[in-house]
Amino acid sequence: MSRFVLRRLLIAVPTLIGVTIVVFITIKIIPGDPIASLAGIGSTAATRAALTHRLGLDQPWPVQYFDWLKSILTGDFGMSISRQSPVRPLVLSALWNTLILAFAGGVVAFVGGTVLGAWSALRRRHVDGKIAGGASVVAVAAPQYSVALLLLVVLAVNNPIFPSGGMYDSGGGGGFPALLDHLVLPAIAVGLAPMGVVARIFRSSLLDVMDQEFVTSLRSRGLGRSAVLRHAFHNTLPSLFTVAGLQIGFLLGGAIFVEILFTWPGLGQLIFQAISSRDYPMIEACSLVLAVAFVLLNVVIDTGHALVDPRVRR
Amino acid sequence: MSVVELPASLPDLPVPGIGGTARATHRRHIPLTVIIPGTFILLLILAAIFAPVVAPYGPTAGSIANRLQPIGSPGHLLGTDEQGWDILSRLIWGARPSLLEGIVPVVVAGVIGTFLGVVAALAGRRTHTLIMRCLDVLYSFPAVLLAIALAAALGAGVVNAIVALSIVLIAPIARVAETEVARIRSADFMEAARASGASWPSIVVRQVLPNIGPVLLVYCTAMVGLAIVFAGGLSLLGLGVPPPAAEWGSMLSTLDQDLYTQPVLALIPAIMIFVTSIAFNVLGDGLRDLLDVRSETVS
Amino acid sequence: MTAPLMTTPLMAATVTDPRLGQDRPGGPLHPGFVRRRASRSTRGIAPGALRVQDLAVTFRSKRAAVRAVREVSFTVEPGRTLVLLGESGSGKSVSARATLRLYGDRVDVEGSATLADLDLFGLSEAEMRAVRGKSLGFVPQDAGGSLDPLRRIGAQVAEVVRWHGVERTRRAARDRAVDLLAQVGIPDPGRVARAYPHELSGGMRQRALIAIAISCGPRVLIADEPTTALDVTIQAQVLELFARLQDELGMGLLMVTHDVGVAEQVADRVAVMYAGRLVEEGPGAVVLSQPAHPYTAGLLGAVPTPETPRGGLQAIAGQPPPAGAVVADGCAFADRCAFAVEACRRESPPLAEVGPGHRAACPVVGGSVVGRAVVGGPAVGGPVAVGQPVRGVSHPEGPAS
Repeated sequence: MSRFVLRRLLIAVPTLIGVTIVVFITIKIIPGDPIASLAGIGSTAATRAALTHRLGLDQPWPVQYFDWLKSILTGDFGMSISRQSPVRPLVLSALWNTLILAFAGGVVAFVGGTVLGAWSALRRRHVDGKIAGGASVVAVAAPQYSVALLLLVVLAVNNPIFPSGGMYDSGGGGGFPALLDHLVLPAIAVGLAPMGVVARIFRSSLLDVMDQEFVTSLRSRGLGRSAVLRHAFHNTLPSLFTVAGLQIGFLLGGAIFVEILFTWPGLGQLIFQAISSRDYPMIEACSLVLAVAFVLLNVVIDTGHALVDPRVRR
Repeated sequence: MSVVELPASLPDLPVPGIGGTARATHRRHIPLTVIIPGTFILLLILAAIFAPVVAPYGPTAGSIANRLQPIGSPGHLLGTDEQGWDILSRLIWGARPSLLEGIVPVVVAGVIGTFLGVVAALAGRRTHTLIMRCLDVLYSFPAVLLAIALAAALGAGVVNAIVALSIVLIAPIARVAETEVARIRSADFMEAARASGASWPSIVVRQVLPNIGPVLLVYCTAMVGLAIVFAGGLSLLGLGVPPPAAEWGSMLSTLDQDLYTQPVLALIPAIMIFVTSIAFNVLGDGLRDLLDVRSETVS
Repeated sequence: MTAPLMTTPLMAATVTDPRLGQDRPGGPLHPGFVRRRASRSTRGIAPGALRVQDLAVTFRSKRAAVRAVREVSFTVEPGRTLVLLGESGSGKSVSARATLRLYGDRVDVEGSATLADLDLFGLSEAEMRAVRGKSLGFVPQDAGGSLDPLRRIGAQVAEVVRWHGVERTRRAARDRAVDLLAQVGIPDPGRVARAYPHELSGGMRQRALIAIAISCGPRVLIADEPTTALDVTIQAQVLELFARLQDELGMGLLMVTHDVGVAEQVADRVAVMYAGRLVEEGPGAVVLSQPAHPYTAGLLGAVPTPETPRGGLQAIAGQPPPAGAVVADGCAFADRCAFAVEACRRESPPLAEVGPGHRAACPVVGGSVVGRAVVGGPAVGGPVAVGQPVRGVSHPEGPAS
């Protein structure tokens, strides 16, 4: 098992390197001349040349890449153009908030999804089971920002049942209960579409498992209903882990949009502001951090998968 | 001696066809899950094409004095936005870029992705590894983030959004194509074709594509829905189509700013995107039933 | 024929275990009430026979009701082996599973099944669960798919042992599991107990399933095509294992198979099924050498033997009716039968006595001495051959093995 984790981490390294390369190239292909905007209008060629040299932008790309990589690895994420302050602390605290939201969305997706999926599987010949199935289909197609707006309007703006923005009560007060209160609507918005996907996959996996020979075999051993169901549910876990790996991307990505609409202080907000103010170091850092988080979360999920399903350990 | 009845649960006998995967009984009727969303999408496309005729107003016709009229106002079925422009009309006019942002990336990524997937599955090990590793790099980003990063890099505008979305969709489509081709690669009819001396391109066109076609079609239909949603999201961030052009995502973005004055108006483009996404998803499901696609990649 | 009962630890526990057959407090997993009732019912079970009478199984779906099995009766005597022989779709597996009540509520099962004096079809589901796996063992066909892929082998064996109360503690159950694995001939049982199903070969998995099936000392073991998925050498080993276990445990064996060769090796009695009905039933040696039904004869003729001359394999013309297709009037085999007469298509022939303990559903062949002499033995070069040497078995009665 530990061998598996080690191997998995090792595989993640080239992926991470690839991620940094893609982010680097993405920034480099931005049209327009960053030097001109940095140096300001009316700057002389000499000033611009000096600036270019100082920032190391006259070096060949591979050299620039390694310099940049070095500074990233030592924790220097550069300076925010619009805020004139270091990027790293802003990004790291925003990352934490985004992870909280994505995690909450994940809880919604998996708890809701397994319940909905089980319901539509076990009651599939009845009306309520079919409704559950239909709900899954609708949920899958739900754009996270549309749901966010719907919830916002219906449950926060028109009827102030839930707060309409922010992470805590004004001034950062309220503690954990306030966090939960503020988390409900955005978490549902983030998690609804993944919930639909989880529901469909869980349903199909459950039906598949129940149909398999080993369930009959379990019954033939005289095992009771609860034992059989336990075995069956256990056997659906691998498929849930597979789904999780795919849905992490949508949870993280969806969080970006939902944060904007709910003014949740996470990476989405930062990215939004950075885009409108052309703050490229900020965009770069946020993208990098999110992508790395994604890769590492996938390692965690793969590990969980291997824990549950010995066939994966190879 | 008479046989009274055959059990309804008998599996159909496989009919050897060109592809070896045809079923003996084809569905005679088109399921509702294809007809209803299909009709809706067709009407949407027609409305987009004939927008000048269908929409009651132009996309930027109106005066700011008439801003933020609620739903059901006289002359404005869905109200007006913060510039006084009729929302219903902008919805119809906005269907053009929104649908384009959905369909074009999928077509482009579909062609490129299928090509890469087929090549990866049929060519030698080294080519396969090379292509799959490159795709893995793209795959290692959450799709949304990649779209945002690329769109941010390229700048605003419909074309840039389409390019960004195309790049994002190449990897998943290629992966599905590769999985499917790998699945049929060792099938009997493939060996037969190779043994008969057919050249690779002709094998691909006449054996491979017809067999992976249905799966890809189903997958890409769902991808169109996804692309429309992504495009809306890009506009929400200020990438994509800039105002004053009509596009569902940018309408959402601007109307959201007046969320506390006229909250329901912002819901209109949001629901429009939602409904369109549902339509494409259900259509994908329906096509899967219609074409009887059975594959784990398309669940 | 019966070897002296050897006293293995398992044997001792099941035959002389004073805990069996008496009230005892329910284990941690069930309400004691249910188990006590089942124990009461099993108290009277002598090493019992499994008797199935007039079994009929109907599958109900939205569109149709399909009669997969009708009027099937057989008996498995303690210590003896009954082979249920037939092609795919003949209803043999369905009969076996229906006896164990493994089907759900979409399937109607009629008739009766008794284990010693216990009426199986009259039990509640909870009571039946106490019988399954304990007094009635089941070895499923697909060894790969019948084991939980996510659990270790030893844990799956131990689970059954603990469930039925044969052992109480985890440790004791684990140890017994290793013992059982050893008993079914698995080398290095400790290592195998810690392994997962996908790490083992097909033969090992099959043995593990057998271990699970016998873990609580069942009176009768039902094996559904236990050798079909195995290659020939492993097949022989598994059959030998069954024989040894029967000797050691004195249990009856109902083996479902389509393989005539397997039947020849193990059958004390054979029951041949076709299109959901019994067509012939009798002592193994007799049925397999002097069949009284054209279908049985056809089955035997289709099996190559060292004596089969070149070009002499005779396939039975035609196809069996699709699984569950109901033949309304007449003998289901009539269309493919070389001996069929008008009467055969009018009425479905009943099972009639054609010899001591031997019944067949064919008045044409079975009912006439001449017909049987004509049909006796493998058909070579034509549907009728007279005086052909009978494969391997020189006398009509005697041990089939």
